[in-house]
Amino acid sequence: MIERKAAILFMIPALVVLIGISVVPTVRAVKMSFENRELRYQTQQYVGLENYRKLFSDRRFLNSVRVSALWELVTVGSTIPLAMLLAFFLFEYVPVGARRMMQIILILPVVVPRVSAAYIWRYIYSPIVGIVEYVLRILHAQPIAVLSDPQAALLAVSVVDVWQWATLFSIIFLGVLQSLPPGPLEAARVDGARNWQVHRYIVLPSIVSPLVSLTLVKMVESLRSFDLIYIMTEGGPGIVTETLDLYAYTTGIGLEGRVSYASSMAVLMLLGTLVTFGGVWTLSQRWRSS
Amino acid sequence: MKKLVVYLLVGIIAFIAVFPIAWTVLGSFKDLRDLVSPVPKFVFKPTLANYAAVFAREGIRRGLQNSIIVTLSALTLGVVLGVPAAYAVSKMPARAKQQLQFFPLSLRFLPPVAIAIPFITLWLDVGWYDTHLALIITYLLISVSTIMWLSMAPFESIPISCQEAAKLDGCSYTQVFLRISLPLALPNLTGGFVFAFILIWNELLLALSLTSTNVTLPVSVAAIAAIGKELPWGMVNAAAITLLIPPLILVRFLGRSMSSAFFGS
Repeated sequence: MIERKAAILFMIPALVVLIGISVVPTVRAVKMSFENRELRYQTQQYVGLENYRKLFSDRRFLNSVRVSALWELVTVGSTIPLAMLLAFFLFEYVPVGARRMMQIILILPVVVPRVSAAYIWRYIYSPIVGIVEYVLRILHAQPIAVLSDPQAALLAVSVVDVWQWATLFSIIFLGVLQSLPPGPLEAARVDGARNWQVHRYIVLPSIVSPLVSLTLVKMVESLRSFDLIYIMTEGGPGIVTETLDLYAYTTGIGLEGRVSYASSMAVLMLLGTLVTFGGVWTLSQRWRSS
Repeated sequence: MKKLVVYLLVGIIAFIAVFPIAWTVLGSFKDLRDLVSPVPKFVFKPTLANYAAVFAREGIRRGLQNSIIVTLSALTLGVVLGVPAAYAVSKMPARAKQQLQFFPLSLRFLPPVAIAIPFITLWLDVGWYDTHLALIITYLLISVSTIMWLSMAPFESIPISCQEAAKLDGCSYTQVFLRISLPLALPNLTGGFVFAFILIWNELLLALSLTSTNVTLPVSVAAIAAIGKELPWGMVNAAAITLLIPPLILVRFLGRSMSSAFFGS
């Protein structure tokens, strides 16, 4: 009984703090989204669903939803397959010693602060001093300022995201592959299965669950495109790279200070994240228990 | 032949991962003439002028100082609150444990902009906007949840027998924790601490939203982008590298925490 009391005392401070600093802002965001608060005025009123109604006729908001969806598609859609390909390559062909070294190298990009990563790649892409420009010049190709090109800008920024995450995820996938029991793989090989058959029929089914949960993790993680886009393009040229979080920042925090309006976007993002995250957890629990 | 192709590919992959960082490190030691040279220079006379220019900026010096204060405070509080909580949770029955594990992990995935907006008005209303305290409290969301989540597995892997023996010798719950479990788990706990440090050190959006003069280093480094269309590359490179040094030094202490951070350990 005393032990139980002690255990509760150990947990209470952390749980109170976590609940406090997550519930208070969430409730506040919901409440503000029904008001018309702006940072430059002292007063606010209840306006019901007005903000949400405005959102759905706000073309710039709809654009940012479209850009975010595209960003999700490009970053998740290239991170996961690339990471898997890399992991399979390291697992199948690279001897253990070199593999260890690669594990150390491949973890580097993800610890680079996104602010630094954004500058590092802006330097590479720079139309004046950039190394990409130099390579294009040698190849006699038309040099372009990728970050101010409406067609290429979003793709160029997403390269940075994929550079950081595909490298990390390849190590995580490699860990999953290394933890597979070798028995079934060898049995299949002895039975004369081809390499692709072993992958398709034995490896793939046993990594489906971590694969799905990592995909969902990346989907949630990709919602945080702010740092890269803020520094590399500021949403430009025009608004072609303006994602949801950048638009919410510009309206709510940046110059405009329309916190209530931005809150309604925040609430929608929270809902989306919660639903996705619930999925991640359920799946990863199922994977662990199976 | 096959071996050659494999090593060639390994080389290319390592190059892609490391080159952007290395190229910026080189760029941070170049003077203007070497930076704008039409043919990229790998051999040049290095200069420290860019770093001098970075640290001559008042904003950067303040940012560095504030980042150190805020990150270390949030981390310390995160350890003090998160580690005992993780210990208590790790000793609970499986069902309760699962529920309690979900909570800190789910907080890791809240979209920062959705947190930043309500926190601005909250800190404005209480009069704490632009203070260290407000930023530290906000960052507890990251530090407590990350440390609590990543500290559970290290405690679970301690053999029960040691703790049982200590209990028979008359040690209380707190004594078992302080004398037996904590020292045994400590080597495996540090990975989680390092992970939390890196997350907070690198954080931009919350700091950008919740401060105006008491900025952190990522905010003051990001502010250089506003200077003009084409950037002062020497200084920008030096600033980006300055910000990147702590995580790069700490990366080897991450251990397994990086992959456990994303799902079951």
